[in-house]
Amino acid sequence: MGVIEVEGLRKEYRRLRGGRTVAVAGLDLEVPEGGVFGFLGPNGAGKTTTIRCLVGLVRPDAGTVRLLGTDVSHGLAKVIGKVGSIVEQPALFPRFSGRRNLQILGRIDGRDGREIDAALERVGLMERAKDAVRTYSLGMKQRLGIAAALLKDPSVLILDEPANGLDPAGIVEVRELIRALGAEGRTVFVSSHILSEVQQTADRVAILARGRLVKAGPVHEVLAAGRARGMLVRVADPEAGRRALESARLSSTVDGPLLRVDVRPDQGEQVTRALVAADLYPSELRPDEVDLETVFLELTKDEGLGP
Amino acid sequence: MIDLFRSELLRARSRRLVPMMLVGGVLLIVVALVIAGANSHKPTPEQIAAAQANSQRLFAQCMNGKFLAPGEPVPGGFTSLEDFCRQATTSTPDTGVRLGDAPDIIEHTSTFTVLLAVVLGASLGGADWTTGSMATLLTWEPRRIRVLLVRALVVALVIVAATFFLQTVLLAGFRLTVALRGTSAGAPSSWLGDAFQAILRVSVVASGIGLIAFAVAMVGRSTVAAVGALFGYLILFEGVIAGFRPSIQDRLVVRAAGVIVGQQPIYDQNAFAPGQSLPVLLGLTEATVVLIVYVVVLLLVALFVFRARDVN
Repeated sequence: MGVIEVEGLRKEYRRLRGGRTVAVAGLDLEVPEGGVFGFLGPNGAGKTTTIRCLVGLVRPDAGTVRLLGTDVSHGLAKVIGKVGSIVEQPALFPRFSGRRNLQILGRIDGRDGREIDAALERVGLMERAKDAVRTYSLGMKQRLGIAAALLKDPSVLILDEPANGLDPAGIVEVRELIRALGAEGRTVFVSSHILSEVQQTADRVAILARGRLVKAGPVHEVLAAGRARGMLVRVADPEAGRRALESARLSSTVDGPLLRVDVRPDQGEQVTRALVAADLYPSELRPDEVDLETVFLELTKDEGLGP
Repeated sequence: MIDLFRSELLRARSRRLVPMMLVGGVLLIVVALVIAGANSHKPTPEQIAAAQANSQRLFAQCMNGKFLAPGEPVPGGFTSLEDFCRQATTSTPDTGVRLGDAPDIIEHTSTFTVLLAVVLGASLGGADWTTGSMATLLTWEPRRIRVLLVRALVVALVIVAATFFLQTVLLAGFRLTVALRGTSAGAPSSWLGDAFQAILRVSVVASGIGLIAFAVAMVGRSTVAAVGALFGYLILFEGVIAGFRPSIQDRLVVRAAGVIVGQQPIYDQNAFAPGQSLPVLLGLTEATVVLIVYVVVLLLVALFVFRARDVN
């Protein structure tokens, strides 16, 4: 059983001028317990709407959503204490201090000052805790939102674009925090369009396009699905290299200063032998790996940017 | 539920609007009392004696039936002709502030008190929508009925406390002004009790109308929209309707509030018949029911809308 289970989730929004926009179109998703789960999709793919359905802010038109085994439409209150979340920007009172914002939320769940301090400490906001939130940078607001989510000591964290608007240092901080939270055994569900971030933090991913799931699974499996077979070789004369490989019955194409060889990554020795036989010594030989971004674009290219 | 109540109370207390309104209200009271004091002076013994003589003369005329039309019964609210005459002919030296006016001053400033309640109610209902923090709150307490009801309770309590405080400051300031520059001659011994009863009535009415503002803000998801809509309705719509259709005054919230605060029913002027007292168009009980119906219906609408609509 997954910590988050979504079956046939559908949500449409009415347009002001008539008609409907399909935000989520029959999404099925299962997030296992523990670790970091990346929820990817282009803008308008339905990520935030899905998250809003998960935390009960939006009612689905069809389908079921279960959090920690409980149907959100009926029993969310039973499990909400174990679920910390940020939906889009952390929305807090700008004129209140960071600590006061956390106190107001924490009181709902009976959290005391010590727990508030611990949450502020964890996100590095202790020194600015007494300052009004409106004086915080975007990154600090994000961190305060994460502190609010952590205040519940949740077993599930749902973070919607937590690195949005952060500077590189802030992104690294949030990345490390997410990794640490995942390593503690919590389930961290992170939506993002910054794919390199997700690739570095997530154990599993799901890719969403036009409100539908396109691909889901462990990161290495998803990467493998889109991986171009072959190896990349750098030699002084790529064209001569291509001919040498051809004579060794290895198919290749010249790609700028590189040769793209159609072999499995474990056939590197064969490639080296063929090139050395022609007096060509490779200065670089590596598998033709793709990153998550390439896979993502490949998987979503036919789906458009959104519904 | 208690934790949510404590959280909502802390949130309301933390709003800058609340202390700003209290400080602003106290400053306005001080300014008003300084002006009143500057235009007042203590009456001389001769002025007091003249006022007492005038009072006795008027009382005698009243007891001889000069204050009522022939055959007209004693107006409602008075136990006897003597009771009516004693209250109708009280004469104190007109030299400025008079202690006996304290309950009237509380009643006459109730419009400002109610306006303050409208702004407070609308703000406490609308601010979360403006900042977007309603979504954050609901990720901590998703039971929306509970959220709305607890918040309505807090709104009512905050308004009662704030308006009670300001009116008590007004009363204390007024008493000080009377001591320094006015007179307590002719004031009934029950003036303090009467004044506090008026304060309580105004606070309760302000709380009811503040809850209406809160409900409208929850439906419209905006403080400004709620204040605008409510002022538009109460001042323009009810004012215009009451002007053109006096017979439906018994269903209007402003009229009901006025009856509760002033403890004076509205009489049906169209049903005047010589020798008969005017029938009551809106009595105290009916006015209370009208105000309660407005509050309850609008809170139910707010509850339904809040429960049904998505929070984006």
